[in-house]
Amino acid sequence: MNLLNLSIKRKLILMTMLTSSIALLLSWASFLIYDLISFRSLLTQDLSTQAEIIGYNSAAAMAFRDQTAATATLSALTAKGDIVGAVLYGPNGKMFAHYFRGEETLPELQPTCSQKKSYRFQGQYLEVCHDVTLNGDRVGTLFLMSDMRQWSMRAQRYAKICFVFALMSAFLAFLVSSKLQKLISGPIMHLEDTMKMVSANKNYEVRAVKSYSDEIGSLMDGFNAMLSDIQQRDTALRGANEELQTRTQELEEEITQRRQAQEELLKAKHVAEEASRAKSTFLANMSHELRTPLNAIIGYSEMLEEEARGSENSGNIQDLQKIQAAGKHLLSLINDVLDLSKIEAGKMTLHLETFDVTGMIEEIVATLQPAVEKNRNTLHVRLADQVGMMRADITKVRQILFNLLSNACKFTDHGSISVDVDRRLEDGRDWIRFEVVDTGIGIGAKQKENLFKEFAQADTSISRKYGGTGLGLAISYRFVQLMKGRIAVQSEPGQGATFRVDLPAQVRIETPDSAPAEGTSEVPSPAGAVKADRDTILVIDDDAAVRDLMSRFLTKLDFNVFAAGSGEEGLRLARQVHPGIITLDVVMPDRDGWSVLNQLKAEPELSEIPVIMVTIVDNQGLGLELGASHYLVKPVDRERLAALVEKHRNMHSSAPQTVRIPVSMSPDGKHVGPIGAEIVRRR
Amino acid sequence: MARILLVEDNEMNRDMLSRRLERKGYSVTIAHDGEQGLSLACSQMPDLILMDISLPLIDGCEVTRRLKANPSTRHIPVIALTAHALLTDREMAFAAGCDDYDTKPIDFVRLNEKIENFLVDKRTL
Repeated sequence: MNLLNLSIKRKLILMTMLTSSIALLLSWASFLIYDLISFRSLLTQDLSTQAEIIGYNSAAAMAFRDQTAATATLSALTAKGDIVGAVLYGPNGKMFAHYFRGEETLPELQPTCSQKKSYRFQGQYLEVCHDVTLNGDRVGTLFLMSDMRQWSMRAQRYAKICFVFALMSAFLAFLVSSKLQKLISGPIMHLEDTMKMVSANKNYEVRAVKSYSDEIGSLMDGFNAMLSDIQQRDTALRGANEELQTRTQELEEEITQRRQAQEELLKAKHVAEEASRAKSTFLANMSHELRTPLNAIIGYSEMLEEEARGSENSGNIQDLQKIQAAGKHLLSLINDVLDLSKIEAGKMTLHLETFDVTGMIEEIVATLQPAVEKNRNTLHVRLADQVGMMRADITKVRQILFNLLSNACKFTDHGSISVDVDRRLEDGRDWIRFEVVDTGIGIGAKQKENLFKEFAQADTSISRKYGGTGLGLAISYRFVQLMKGRIAVQSEPGQGATFRVDLPAQVRIETPDSAPAEGTSEVPSPAGAVKADRDTILVIDDDAAVRDLMSRFLTKLDFNVFAAGSGEEGLRLARQVHPGIITLDVVMPDRDGWSVLNQLKAEPELSEIPVIMVTIVDNQGLGLELGASHYLVKPVDRERLAALVEKHRNMHSSAPQTVRIPVSMSPDGKHVGPIGAEIVRRR
Repeated sequence: MARILLVEDNEMNRDMLSRRLERKGYSVTIAHDGEQGLSLACSQMPDLILMDISLPLIDGCEVTRRLKANPSTRHIPVIALTAHALLTDREMAFAAGCDDYDTKPIDFVRLNEKIENFLVDKRTL
C-alpha cells in the first residue's frame, strides 16, 4: 500500500526500472537455457568420441583378456578432468577393468547398457555406454561417466557478469527514467501547485500552463475552464454579496427610521391620549362650572314666574318662561357634550335592567307632549301586543327615543309623527324595533352622510333656525352601538323622515367570556358571565348574633358561608366571591339593605345573584320590586330559609328575572332616582 | 312645619333654593360648609337635609358619612345635590349613605316631590 502512495515521480521511476529489469532477466534466462542445451549436446558428443576411442584402443586387450592393458588404456582418461569414472564390462556383463578419478567409488554405478550405444543425464552426471567391437564382434561394453562441473562454473561466471550488467542497466534506467518521468509528472505537479494556489489564496485568476496536447493537457484545459467558471461565479457572487450588503444596510437604515417614526408615533399617541384625558376632564369640569350658574338662572326665573303668577304682574311670565326654556336648552346642550366626552373617553358604560317597553314609551310620550304641540303636530303611538319586556340600559334607550322624537317634533310643522314599536325575530335573535316617522322637512342625500357624526348638523342654517348642537343623533348612534343594535334612516327632502332603531331584546355586556355565547341563547343569562358559585352564600347583617346563627345553620346545609357586617363589606365580598345566593338585612348603619340591593342589581356582574331579604322591616312589596328574589321577616322560619336556599342551589337556569320599574325621570330623560323607598311611597 | 337643613356653599343657589323652599312652607336652615352643616344637623335635628357634595372644609360625602354613623342623626334623610353629572358622583353619594340624589340645575318640582316623599313617610310611620 505504501508503494501506491508514492509520488507519481517515484512511481514512474520504479515502473521503468521494474520493466527494464524484467526484460533484462528474461533475455538472460533465455540465453542461459540456450547455453545449457548447447553445452549438453557438445558434452554428449565429446564423451561419445572419447568412448569410441577408448573402445577401439581397448578392444584387443578385451579380446585377449589382458586386464592390465585394458586398465592402462582406461587410465589415460586421467587427462580428462571431467570424466569421473570408466568401466569396461565383459561380454557376460562382468566388470573387466575400471578407472575412477581420485578416491571416488561409484557403488551405484551398475549400468545396464542394453543398447549398443546410449547416453543419459543422471543428476549431475552424464553417462555414456559404448559397445566395444573387434572385427565386427562385440567383445565388451564401455561405460563412461562425466560430471557437469564445467558448466556450473561457466554459469557462475555468467551470473557475475549478469549482476554487474544488471546494476549498470538499473542505474542507466534510473537516470533515463528520472529524466523522462518529468514529461508526465511535471505537468501534473504544475496542476497540483496551481490547484493549491487557488485553494489557498482563493485566487481564481490563476491558470495552469498547458505544455503538451496530451491527456494531461486536456485535463488542464478542463481545469482552466472550471476555474474560469468558478471565477465568473465568484465575481457574480461577490457582486450579489455586495448588493446584499448594501440592501441590508439600507434595510437597517429603514428599520432605524421606522423605529424612530414608531417612537415618535408612540409619543404622539401618548400626547394625544393625555390631551384626550385632559379634554375629558376639562369637559367634566366645564360641565360642573356651567351647571352652577345655570342652576341660579333656571331657579330664579322659575321663582320669579311663580311670584308673577301670584301677583298682577303677569306680563313678565312669558319672558321668564323664555329664560327658563333657554336655560333648559343650554342644560341639554351641556349634557350632550358631557355624554359625548364620556363616550370618547370610553367611560360610557351600560347599566342593564329589565323594563316594560310600553311603560317607557308612555313616559316619553307624556314628557314630549309640549314639544309635539309646539308645532301643532299630532303624535301616534303604535305598540305591538307582544312587545313586553326588554333588558337594556333604559336611560340610554330613553335618550335615543327622546332624541329621535325631539328631532321629529322640531323639524315637522303641522304634520304627524308616529312611533311604532315591534318585537321581531331575526338571525335567531330577539329584537325590539323602534320606528319614528315624521312628515317634516326630510333630509337630503348629502346631509345623510354626516347625520350620525359629531358636530355635523345637516346644514349650518339649520342650527340657526332650529337650534341644537348636532350631537343628539351622534350620541344616539353611539348608544345604539354600545348596545349592539342598529340605527338607520330613510328620508327624502320634503318627504319626511323615518328613523329605525333595532336593539336586542336582551342587551349583553361584552366580556371576553360571554362573547362566544352570543346569539346562541334566547334565554336571558347572567350578563357579567361570571360563574356564581352555587354552594356559596353571602350573609349581610350588622347583627353579629344573627350572622353567627345564619352561618352555623347554612354551614350545616353544606354551604360555604361568607358573612359581612355592613353593606359596604357585603358589596365588596359579593364582587370578590360571586356567591350563589345573598341574604340581606335592611336596617344597617352606614348603608341600608335597600341601597345595597339597589347597587347589587345595578352591577351587571352581580345583578343575577338571587337576594333573599332577611329583615325585621315588613316591606315585602318594596323588596321584590327592587329585585329581591324572596322576602323573609325575622324571626326567620328555618325550614323556609332552607327550602329557599336549596331551591336556588339546585336551579341550573338563572334566577327569575325581576322587574325593575323606573322610579323617576327628569324631563331630559337622564336621571333616574335609584332609591327604592320612593317607589312604594309614591304608589 | 317641616325643617330642612340646606348645606350649600354657592350663595346664589343657597338663596334661591332656600327662598323657594320657604315659599313651599318649609322652615329652612342654612349651612355654608360641611363643618357648619354637621354641627347644625346635630344641634337642630332637621327633618331632612339637602347636601351639596362639593363643599369646602369637609365635603358632602364625608358629612353624610358622619351623620349616618351617628345613631342620633342616622334617621335623617339626606338628599345629595351635585353639579357633577358623572355616574361616579352618584355612586359616591350612595356609598356615603345618601338616601337620594339629584343633579343641578335643580328641577324644583322633582326635588320637591322627593322631599315630600321622605317627609310624608316620616309622618305616617
